[in-house]
Amino acid sequence: MSAPILQVAHLTKRFGNLIALNDVSLEIREGELFSIIGPNGAGKSTLFFNIIGLQKPDAGQILFRGMDITGKPPHKICDLGITCTFQVPRAFASMTIEEAIRVGAYKRYGERDVARKVDEVIALCDLEEHRRQRCCDIGLSLLRRVELARALATEPMLLLLDEAGAGLNPTELTELMTVLRRLNEEQHITLCIVEHVMQMVMGLCQRILVLDYGEVIAEGSPQEISTNPRVIEAYLGKGAVC
Amino acid sequence: MRSGNSLPRSLLIALLVLAALLPLVARSNQYALVLFTTVLLYGVLATAWNIIGGLAGQLDLAAGAYLGLGAFTVGTLLIRWNISPWLGMILGGLIAVGFALLIGYPLFRFGIREVWYALSSSALVEVLRVAFLIWNQVGGPMERYLPYHEWSLYHLRFATYMPFYYIMLGMLVLALVVNHRVRHSRLGYYLMALGENEDAAEVLGVNTQACKLQALALYAFLVGTAGGVYACMYGFIHPNFFSGPLSTEVAILGIVGGMGITYGPVMAAILLVSTREFLRANLGGQLESFYLVVYSVVLILIALFRPQGIATFVRGAYDRLLSRMVKE
Repeated sequence: MSAPILQVAHLTKRFGNLIALNDVSLEIREGELFSIIGPNGAGKSTLFFNIIGLQKPDAGQILFRGMDITGKPPHKICDLGITCTFQVPRAFASMTIEEAIRVGAYKRYGERDVARKVDEVIALCDLEEHRRQRCCDIGLSLLRRVELARALATEPMLLLLDEAGAGLNPTELTELMTVLRRLNEEQHITLCIVEHVMQMVMGLCQRILVLDYGEVIAEGSPQEISTNPRVIEAYLGKGAVC
Repeated sequence: MRSGNSLPRSLLIALLVLAALLPLVARSNQYALVLFTTVLLYGVLATAWNIIGGLAGQLDLAAGAYLGLGAFTVGTLLIRWNISPWLGMILGGLIAVGFALLIGYPLFRFGIREVWYALSSSALVEVLRVAFLIWNQVGGPMERYLPYHEWSLYHLRFATYMPFYYIMLGMLVLALVVNHRVRHSRLGYYLMALGENEDAAEVLGVNTQACKLQALALYAFLVGTAGGVYACMYGFIHPNFFSGPLSTEVAILGIVGGMGITYGPVMAAILLVSTREFLRANLGGQLESFYLVVYSVVLILIALFRPQGIATFVRGAYDRLLSRMVKE
C-alpha cells in the first residue's frame, strides 16, 4: 500500500448554528482514484473548499504529504501541488483558452518555457482547434475541459474535481472518465473526485467516502458502498432497504 | 473584451511623429498647447489606470489622490528647498506608491472587492483633500505658487507650455510601454485572471493579494509622477488637486476606451477630453455647463453601442480594411 498523500483529521466547519462538517477524517493514498460522495447538502463542497484553502476549518488538521496545510491560502497550497476544478466553472471569460491555460502554466515555468507547457497541455486535453476561442463563447463541456487543462498546467500531484460530471451527457461523461483514467495512469496524478453522478464514481474510483449531514457514514470499495445499508438509506430514505 | 492585438509598429511610429509635430501647428497658441497637454495628461492617467482597473478589474477611483501627492511633493520640495522637480517627480511617485500600499494592503488583505473597493479608494481622495486643507505648513486653503522662471530646465518652469507637451508625451510613451510590458508578462496574465475570478486564480497558484498590490503600485507611481509635471505646468499647488471628479473621469476614460486594451484609454482621452474642452470653450459663454450634457450623451451612446470600448471599434475598422486590401 502506498504512502498517504492527503490526511484530514477531525475536521469541523460551522456556519453559524449549522455544522457543515463534523469531525471528518479521511486519508487519500498516493496514486489513488478517490471519491467523496453524498446527497445534497452533505458537506462535500465544504470539505472540498477547506482542503483547497478557500475556507478555513474551525477545528481539525489537514496534512499534505506530512506537511500541515490547514488554513494556508490557496496559492500556497497550489505551490505544494494541490489544485482543483470547480462545480460551476469559474471561467476567465474574456481570455482565450490558450491564455487561461497560460495562467496555470506560469506556476512552474518562466517566460521562456511557458509557451511550451501551454502547447503540451493543449495537446493532452485535445484543445488544439479551440485554443484561440474566448472562454465566454464556449459551451459547458468545453469549459469543463478548459478548467481541467488549466489545473493540469500547474502540474499538481493531487487534483480535486468538484462535480466535474454534472451537466454532461453520457458520451461526454465517458470521455471525461477516459481522460481522468489516463491522467491517473500516465501522469501519476492522484485524483479526488467529489461527485454526485454515481455512474462516474462507481466506474472509476477505487475507494469511496460517503458523507451525510457533515459526517462520514461509510468508506470502502464501490461494491461495499453500493450494498451498504446506511448509504442506501441516506440516498433513498428510511425503508428503502428491503 | 481584452485583446493582445497590438497595432503594427509602422503605424505606431507614424502616430508618434504626428504627435511630436502637433505643437508646431499650434505654435504660439498657448490655449491649444494647454489643451493638447491636458489630453496627454488624461491619456497618461487613464493608461496607468488601465493596469489596476482594466487588467486587474479593480474599480479604482483614487487617481486624484496619487496625482495630488505627486503635485504636492514636487511643489513643496521646489518652493521650500529649491529641489529640482525631476527628483521631486520620482519622490512624488514613490510617496504615491507608499500611500497606495498603505491603503491597498488592508483592503486586499481583508478581501475588500468591487463596489467596496471603489468606495474606499474614492474616500482616500476626499480624506487627503481635507487633510491638506488643514495642514497649513504644506497645503492650506490658499494656492502656493511655484517660483517663476522664463526658461529653466532645472526648475521645470517655462513661460510657454510647449516643453510640457513634450514631457507629457514622453510620459505617455512610458506609460504605454509599461502597460504593454505588463500585459504580456506573468503579472499581466495573473491580473487578468484575478480580475475575472479571484478564487479561480488563487487555486491556480496566483497570489492575488501580492499581484493587486504590484498593479496598484505601478499605477500610483505613474500617476504620482504625472502629478509632479501637472504642478509645474500650472505653476501652483492647491488641495483641490485631490479631485474626486478627476478620479472618476480617469476611470471613465479607462472603461470607455476598452478595459485592458493597451491603447484604448489614450484613444478615449483624445476623443472625449478634446470634445469636452472644445465644447466648454465654445459653449461656455452662452450655455454654461451645457458641455456636460453633450459629454454625458456621448458617454451613453458609447455605453449603448460599444460597451467593450471604442478601441474595439477602431480595431474592427482596421481588420475590415486589412481584409479588403488582401482581397484586392
